[in-house]
Amino acid sequence: MNIAWKEMKKNKARFLILGSIVFLVSLLTFIISGLANGLSQDNAALIKKLPDGTFYMTKEADKNYNLSRINHSVQEKVLNKQKNAAAISIQMGFLNDSEGKQRSVAFVTSTDSMLFKNVKKGEIILDKSMKEEGIKIGDTFTNNQYNGKFVVKGFVDNQKFSHAPVAFINMEDYKEMYRVNDMQLIFIPGGDGAPSFAGLQAFSNNQFLSTISSYKAEQMSLNMIIWFLVVISGMLFAIFFYMMNVQKIGLYGILKAIGVKTSALFKMMWTQMVFITAISLSLSVALSQIFNIAAPKGLPFHLPLVTTVQLSVIFLLIGFIGATLSGIQIKKVEPLQAIQQGEV
Amino acid sequence: MTIFTIDEVRKTFSIGEINEEILKGINLSLKEGEVTALVGASGSGKSTLLTIAAGLQPASDGQVIFEGQNITTMSSEQVRKIRANNFGFVFQFAHLVPFLTVEEQLMLMLDVSESKLKKREQKKEIDKILKLVEMDHRKNAYPASLSGGERQRVAIARAIIHKPKVLFADEPTASLDSKRSKDVMTLISNLTKTLNITTLMVTHDEEMLSFADRIIKMSDGQILPSAV
Repeated sequence: MNIAWKEMKKNKARFLILGSIVFLVSLLTFIISGLANGLSQDNAALIKKLPDGTFYMTKEADKNYNLSRINHSVQEKVLNKQKNAAAISIQMGFLNDSEGKQRSVAFVTSTDSMLFKNVKKGEIILDKSMKEEGIKIGDTFTNNQYNGKFVVKGFVDNQKFSHAPVAFINMEDYKEMYRVNDMQLIFIPGGDGAPSFAGLQAFSNNQFLSTISSYKAEQMSLNMIIWFLVVISGMLFAIFFYMMNVQKIGLYGILKAIGVKTSALFKMMWTQMVFITAISLSLSVALSQIFNIAAPKGLPFHLPLVTTVQLSVIFLLIGFIGATLSGIQIKKVEPLQAIQQGEV
Repeated sequence: MTIFTIDEVRKTFSIGEINEEILKGINLSLKEGEVTALVGASGSGKSTLLTIAAGLQPASDGQVIFEGQNITTMSSEQVRKIRANNFGFVFQFAHLVPFLTVEEQLMLMLDVSESKLKKREQKKEIDKILKLVEMDHRKNAYPASLSGGERQRVAIARAIIHKPKVLFADEPTASLDSKRSKDVMTLISNLTKTLNITTLMVTHDEEMLSFADRIIKMSDGQILPSAV
C-alpha cells in the first residue's frame, strides 16, 4: 500500500502549503537568476555570443584590453596563420543624433570575419535596442572625434557591451576616431589547443570576461546573491521537511511498533519530498519561462531553460539531503516511546 | 501447549548514578489460546514486562523464548519480523494511522506482515474481521470520525487481521467507559478463543479480570508466588 500517497491525499492542505513554499522560494531564485543573467548579458553579450575560442592581448597590457596595442606585423602574422581569426577593438563612446541627443555606445571594429559585422566606411550597424528607441535605417549620427557622418545600415540582435549597445563601425573610421593604427585584441575561434604567440597573452572567453573589472565585480555580486538564495532555499526546504518529520514522530513510532520497516518509512518520506518538490519546481520553471518570454523589453532578464533545470536539480538534491538528514530521527524513533506518548 | 516463555528476565534503568531494577528475575509461561492478565499497582513492572515480551524494548538480562527462539539475542530486524508476523498489539489508545480508513488500517497490517493473500482475498478477510468486531459498516471511515470505542475495536481488528499467535494488550480498556470496556474485553476474549490466540494483557481494572483465564499479580518487579 502506498501510504505516502494516502497521507498526501488525506492531508492536502498541509502538503499544499509545503508545495507552495517550495514553489515560491524556487520562483524567487529563478527570477533573481534571470535578472542576474540578464545583467550579465547586458554587460557582455558581445563576448558571450562568440563561440569558444581564445582572445589575445599584449603582455604589456597587464590583462587590461584597453591598454593593449597589438603590433600590425604581429597581427598580420597571426591572421595569416589562423584563417578564422579576427583582430578587434572595443571602445566606449558617444553618438550624437540629428537633434544633438547623445547616446552611449560601445564602438566595435574588426578585420574581415564571420563573427563580427563588417561595415563600409561611413556606415554603422547598431544593436537592436536602439531600433526600439526609434532609430531607423538611414538615420545619421555624428561623433566629436569623427569628421564624417555615420549612416545606420542595419541592426543586430542582442549585442551589448558594458551595458551599452554595440555599434559596429569600419576599421578606418575607428582609426580616425581613436587615432590608433593597432588593434587591441585578436580572437581565434575553436576551443582546443590555442597556439601561443610571442608577446601575446592568451585568454579563454571566460578568462577574458574576468579581465573586465566592472564585469568581474558585477558578476561576483550577482553570483553571490544567486548562491546565497540557492543555499538559503535549500536550507528552508530542509527545515520544512524536518518540521514535517518532527510532527510525525509519534506516527512513525506506531508504524514501527506494528512492524513497518524503517526503510519503508524512509521511502514514504522520500516519495512525498520528491513528489512535492518535482511538482512545485515544474510549476516554477514553467512560470519563470513564461516571464522570460513576456518580460518587459527594457528589463535585462535572461533565463535559459537549461539554467532553471540545473537549479531545479540542485534544489532537488538539497531537498533530498535535507529530508534524509531530518529523517535520521525516524531511525532513532523508539516504538515504545511513541506508544507511551498517547494518541497520534 | 506453551508458546511463550519468559525466563529470569531482569530490567534495570540507570538514572544518573542510580540503577533502579524494575524487573527482578521474572519467570512466566504462556499457553496457547489462553488469556493471561498481569495486574499490580503502578510501578510494579507489569507494562515493562509486557513490552519486553513483545520485543518493544530489550531486557537487561534473561531470555524471552517464542516458539523455541530466543528473541532477546535477535537483531532488531529479526525482532521486527517476529512482531509483524506473529504478534498483535492493542494499547491504551487505539493508535490508528490518522490518514487511513478503517479498511486501509487493516490492509496496511496485512502488507506489513507480508500476507500471501491476493488483493481480493485480503478484502474478504478484512470484511470478515470487521464483521467480527462489528465495524463493517464503518470500513470507509477515518479514525477522526470514530468514537473511542469504535477506534479500539478497529485497533483490535488491526491486531488480529494477520492471525498473530500472541496478542499483547496494554491497558486496552483504560480510555473507555465501563460499558465499552466490557464490550472490548468480551471481544478480545471471544477472538482469543475463536482464533486460538494467546493473549497477555495488562490491566488496572479489576472488573476485566473475569475475562482472563489466568491472573498474574506483580509487585515491586516480581511475580507474587501465590498468583502464578
